Amino acid sequence: MKFSRAEILLVEDSQEDLDLTLHSLGHERVATDIIVARDGEEALDLLFCRGAGSGRSFENPPRLVLLDLKLPKVDGLEVLRQIKSDPRTRTIPVVILTSSKEERDLIRGYELGVNSYIQKPVDFEQFRKTIKQLGLYWLITNQAPVAGRTARAAGQSS
Amino acid sequence: MIAGELIVEAEAQKLHAKGEKLSVLMVEDSVADTELIRSELEHGGFDLSSEVVQTAEEFARQVHSNSFHVVLADFNLPQWNGMEALELLRREGLDIPLILVSGALPDITAVDCIKQGAADYVLKDRLARLPSAIRSALQEKQLREERKRAEHELAQKVEELARSNRELEHFAYVASHDLQEPLRMVATYTQLLAERYRGKLDAQAEKYIHYAVDGAKRMQTLIQDLLAFSRVGRQDTTFAPVDCNLILHQALESLQLAIRESGAVLTYARLPEVMANSSQLLQVFSNLLANAIKFRGSDKPNIHISAERQAGEFAFSVRDNGIGIASENAQDVFVIFRRLHTRTEYPGNGIGLAICRKIVEQHGGKIWVTSREGRGSTFTFTLPVTEPVPAAQEKFKQEYVQA
Amino acid sequence: MFKPEILLVDDNPADLDLTSEVLARNERPKRVSSVMNGVEALGFLRHEGKYADTPDPDLILLDLNLPRKDGRAVLAEVKADPLLRRTPIVVFSTSQAEFDIMQSYNLGANSYVTKPGDLPEFVQAVESIENFWFGCARLPRKEEQ
Repeated sequence: MKFSRAEILLVEDSQEDLDLTLHSLGHERVATDIIVARDGEEALDLLFCRGAGSGRSFENPPRLVLLDLKLPKVDGLEVLRQIKSDPRTRTIPVVILTSSKEERDLIRGYELGVNSYIQKPVDFEQFRKTIKQLGLYWLITNQAPVAGRTARAAGQSS
Repeated sequence: MIAGELIVEAEAQKLHAKGEKLSVLMVEDSVADTELIRSELEHGGFDLSSEVVQTAEEFARQVHSNSFHVVLADFNLPQWNGMEALELLRREGLDIPLILVSGALPDITAVDCIKQGAADYVLKDRLARLPSAIRSALQEKQLREERKRAEHELAQKVEELARSNRELEHFAYVASHDLQEPLRMVATYTQLLAERYRGKLDAQAEKYIHYAVDGAKRMQTLIQDLLAFSRVGRQDTTFAPVDCNLILHQALESLQLAIRESGAVLTYARLPEVMANSSQLLQVFSNLLANAIKFRGSDKPNIHISAERQAGEFAFSVRDNGIGIASENAQDVFVIFRRLHTRTEYPGNGIGLAICRKIVEQHGGKIWVTSREGRGSTFTFTLPVTEPVPAAQEKFKQEYVQA
Repeated sequence: MFKPEILLVDDNPADLDLTSEVLARNERPKRVSSVMNGVEALGFLRHEGKYADTPDPDLILLDLNLPRKDGRAVLAEVKADPLLRRTPIVVFSTSQAEFDIMQSYNLGANSYVTKPGDLPEFVQAVESIENFWFGCARLPRKEEQ
């Protein structure tokens, strides 16, 4: 993939939730490429440009990571911890999108520096509305970190 | 070559005309040879002042205390070696042409001396050639000095340019902050005023508010455009292989609405892959296509995009059937903030083509327009062909070209 | 019903007015407080002096260029403070400079929103912030800790 437009990395292992999220995002007329990772390890590979992500570069990070918590291989909070503790990836906005109602996950997520935390609504219509709002906010209202500037800006601020 | 010789002649005459003496340092142990050389030079038109030394020590002392135009040196004397003398001149940074005036030398030695920086090699039984050898050597030295001066000036210019770029960068930053903040106050609060008092003010007052909002907004766009323009030069641009078909596709996608509204018909040929910065190239395509749609005539826009290979470059063309440009304005359209129409006729700030030119030039290409007023325009830009060629093939190509 | 607390940190009274006004336009119940420099902001968050009885904000809208203590310094201090760092901070600034955006994310900003220069867009941005953070996201509220 040579050009990344507004790219979302969707990390989700449940096929049902995946279909629903993709469907809801598709309703937003935002020019977006969505990459899907099915487990935590694949997500980390894509973000750290190795393994399955070896064709990618830190210069072109996704504009947003939507991260489920209960993931095979590497747990969502561990994926978050790794993203937020590496200067090459820490500026990438990460939004947790989970069905977990656990208080601990919420607090731990914000402690680890998650940009925002969303609990998946059970109701289908509600779910769609939430994803739509999420898309509007993170792809239009929010200023994404500037692709290709990550490393330099990180260096300047230290 | 002939021109070169004429200049050499002219230089020698200048030296002569100024009444300046040719100051010569001779390294020679034979008094007879010294006299021969002197008379040959006087005969050749030089007014001479000379010193004679026989050892390396004397030579070093002389070149330090006096300034000579030229050194005429035998190659080998008991306490002297031509090569060492050349080495000494180079070490001390003294640019004095040294001409070997010697008996027959092995070819290999003569060549070595020239390689080490000797200006020329004149055989003692061919002394008649000495005057012209000196003139050439002096001429070469002058060219060297001129080149050094030019290089120095160039380095200064580059430094000045870098400084003014840094200043521009700072200006862009100041513009993005300090100018936009108060401007935002003016724009939003006049809008709020209009909103709050809608229907309570007379038509005149509403019109005035509209002018104020419009002016503030236009200034906002101008600042944005200026920033976009200055960013083209500041961004560290990485070049990578880019498929122009994909770029064109993206450009068309972003212009979907304008294409639909204008009923534009777009046709395009297959485009090549080039080395470029993809987001900048996308900007060029988008700007040219947006213009082709914007400056349409009474007919629906008919736009054709194509590319052809000409020698070492690809020429991309965007041809339209729009209002065209009078030939006397064909260059103006690429100048920043230059507009050919009023804002009410065609909106815009006159920045798009200026950005296109900046980007294309940064990629090592050119951009121009051919047009007739009322008959459409064709904007063409070139990008160098830089195919990744395997080393062996590259070598073959070079040989082929040379043959 | 959950009544969110919003803290606006901005030295420009015109922006404070406008933001508060937009926030007051819809029916969602909320409390909006504002401070005009970085020192006051930290005092507010740490309940110092006259801020002893102020509530903990659920969301902070933070301008970058502030007197006394810069918005960047406030951001860095809040995100380094174990008692405060969970509170989401949306940087709300005029600046579109890449450097400011990247620096804010590096310092731990949850989000970065540029103040639009056009009233309808400004209204939309503030509404979008409100709708997302209070209608969509789950916040680490005090009573949940």
